[in-house]
Amino acid sequence: MKKLIILLAFCLSGQILSAQLVDNLTIGLESNGAWYNDDKKTGSFYDDENQDGDEHIRFNNYLKLDYRFLNNFTASVQLESYEPFALINYSPNYEGTNLGTYSLNYKNSKLDITAGHFYSQFGSGLILRNWEDRQLGINNALLGGKVVYTPVNYVSLTALYGKHRVGFDTSEGEIFGFDSEIDFSSILNFETSALNLGLSYVGRKEATEVVDPEFDELTNAFSGRLDFSSANFYSSVEYVTKGDDALVQIINGNNVFPEDFIKSGNALLVNAGYSKSGFGLDATFRRLENMSFYSDRNTAGNVYFENIVNYVPALTKQHDYLLTNIFVYQPQGVVNFIYDAQIFKVGEIGGQLDLYYKIKKDTPLGGKYGTKVAINASYWAGLKGDISTDFANPDYDMDFFGFGTKYFSDLSLEVRKKWNPKLNSIFYYVNQYANQKEILSIFSAETIKTNIAVAETTYKLGKGKSIRLEAQKMWSNSDDHDWIGGTLEYNFNSKFSIYVNDIYNDGTDKDTEKTHYYNLGGSFTKGATRLGLNYGRQRAGLVCVGGVCRFVPEATGLTVNLSMSF
Amino acid sequence: MKNFLLLFLFLFVWNINAQELPNITLKSLDGKSVTTQEISNSENLKVLSFWATWCVPCINELDAISEVYEKWQDETNVEIIAISTDDSRTRQRVKPLVNGKGWDYQVLIDENQDLKRALNITTLPHVVIIKNGEIVYRHSGYTPGGEDELFDVILEHSK
Repeated sequence: MKKLIILLAFCLSGQILSAQLVDNLTIGLESNGAWYNDDKKTGSFYDDENQDGDEHIRFNNYLKLDYRFLNNFTASVQLESYEPFALINYSPNYEGTNLGTYSLNYKNSKLDITAGHFYSQFGSGLILRNWEDRQLGINNALLGGKVVYTPVNYVSLTALYGKHRVGFDTSEGEIFGFDSEIDFSSILNFETSALNLGLSYVGRKEATEVVDPEFDELTNAFSGRLDFSSANFYSSVEYVTKGDDALVQIINGNNVFPEDFIKSGNALLVNAGYSKSGFGLDATFRRLENMSFYSDRNTAGNVYFENIVNYVPALTKQHDYLLTNIFVYQPQGVVNFIYDAQIFKVGEIGGQLDLYYKIKKDTPLGGKYGTKVAINASYWAGLKGDISTDFANPDYDMDFFGFGTKYFSDLSLEVRKKWNPKLNSIFYYVNQYANQKEILSIFSAETIKTNIAVAETTYKLGKGKSIRLEAQKMWSNSDDHDWIGGTLEYNFNSKFSIYVNDIYNDGTDKDTEKTHYYNLGGSFTKGATRLGLNYGRQRAGLVCVGGVCRFVPEATGLTVNLSMSF
Repeated sequence: MKNFLLLFLFLFVWNINAQELPNITLKSLDGKSVTTQEISNSENLKVLSFWATWCVPCINELDAISEVYEKWQDETNVEIIAISTDDSRTRQRVKPLVNGKGWDYQVLIDENQDLKRALNITTLPHVVIIKNGEIVYRHSGYTPGGEDELFDVILEHSK
């Protein structure tokens, strides 16, 4: 490996001689390091994933090279290094230094062919998505081949085959995919409307060790979707059906395939909205039943998001403030029977509503600059129906449009107000309901109801200098949770910023009570290079990026993030 | 590890030339395919602003530019293209948010982050200025007043 890097560095330096060659090379470098400390308050450092308490300094490094040649070709490699271990809470499969992904792509106006690792998405990803998220340690690229054919500009066809990347290895199971997209508005010459149709197939083939299985090695999933928009109105509907497959249940820490517990799954996603200048309204409905889909059956529900075929994000608002992210909803699309906790989950049903409105200038509420308002409301529940909770003979039959046990609701209001050219404020209010027993599958967990208020103000001091102050407070129905928090940020200019923040629980929750979760740090940015430093104590909880949330343990220490792009 | 450090040093001292925009297909808000080649094929200066509905500094930046956009266009013919990197969790919010805020930008969707990945963008917001198909400037992050500095760069390149 070392030799490879030296060779690479050598090759690169050789190329400096030829500017033409360098022009075609794109380089991205990211390094995330941490120095974990023992914390008097929260205990000494220990990494459960790698069962290590000695390696306090760790780095995750990524070097990505894309080289374009002969007009149509691109060769890409991504080197990754997790030394001496990966940062805590990353999958132990990320180990050492190695080639993470590699690919060769040919692209012209009609064909786009990739051999090697590739990322793909069909529709909203509800049937298939491959993506990378370094912060969360997700990379489920497929290793194989993909062809995208665009015979005319209103038709796109994709065929793919591959195995999932898992750490520096691949999945056992194989994925076959086919997708078609047709833009009818171009065919029918619609002037102000758009109509798009998509049809997809995804197959997952994995041999099983179950003797005389009553399910097939190959599981087939199909999806259809339709998008329609006309003038200010838009809508989309997507339906996925997944064929019969074994339901993996975790019993006493082991994966078990209960005999005769073989079920199909489905998902329905409907979205509609209306928007014009100064006004936007959007409504989403989703129902999921048994939508667990992994390249290796045994990895179902793994916390690292490895082997995952489809993308099922929580459809709730992703809040921006520390206290608004303590109780976070996790989508409940999988069948999960936990007998000792008396929890029987088959899926979820619910939706959310978004409203954006700009109050006009020179009105009593709009003031001199106008006021911007955003409202979000979401509600999620379990499916309603008949569940056989007999341990020896688990089964269920759910209604299509029935709402069962309430899991989560969230109502938020955001008001943005500019007072004068230098001063502006944001007010944020959230009301949450979280049925922690069902969401976390913990029998003793109580249902939490919270009210959270946040106010932030930014004052521009001129010449790029500015100061931002943020105050947060959470009230709850539980004696365990009574939080307060704040942030102070100072920007010297567009390149250099520093901040300090702290959240503190005055409640009696044994994990967090009377503990300051403080952070202080700064960042320096120049062009596409960014260096960030942070020292602080991280609260155990969900860290969310994009649509995915991962649990991270409590940790104290110094972190450094460097990213560069050329 | 040592090799990686050497590599960092090596990259720091490396003086990089202007690069072409990679050829990636994006989607418009009504589902039409738009290639980055079509964007590059223009004499006007283009500013690609990568954002997401859940990124507060991104919204702050686009809100701030929105207030001075008319003036910018009068002086330089610059065109701002707001590229949303929202995935299916938040993508449905893009259209009502853009209209609700009254933004006057062309908005494109990079739903599976193909362009973001090709440009090695790791943090949002991130702006890329394109002139005659080549990347002439990049900047990540936004602090209040950063739009004035961006406009100075636009003025410099629009000569």
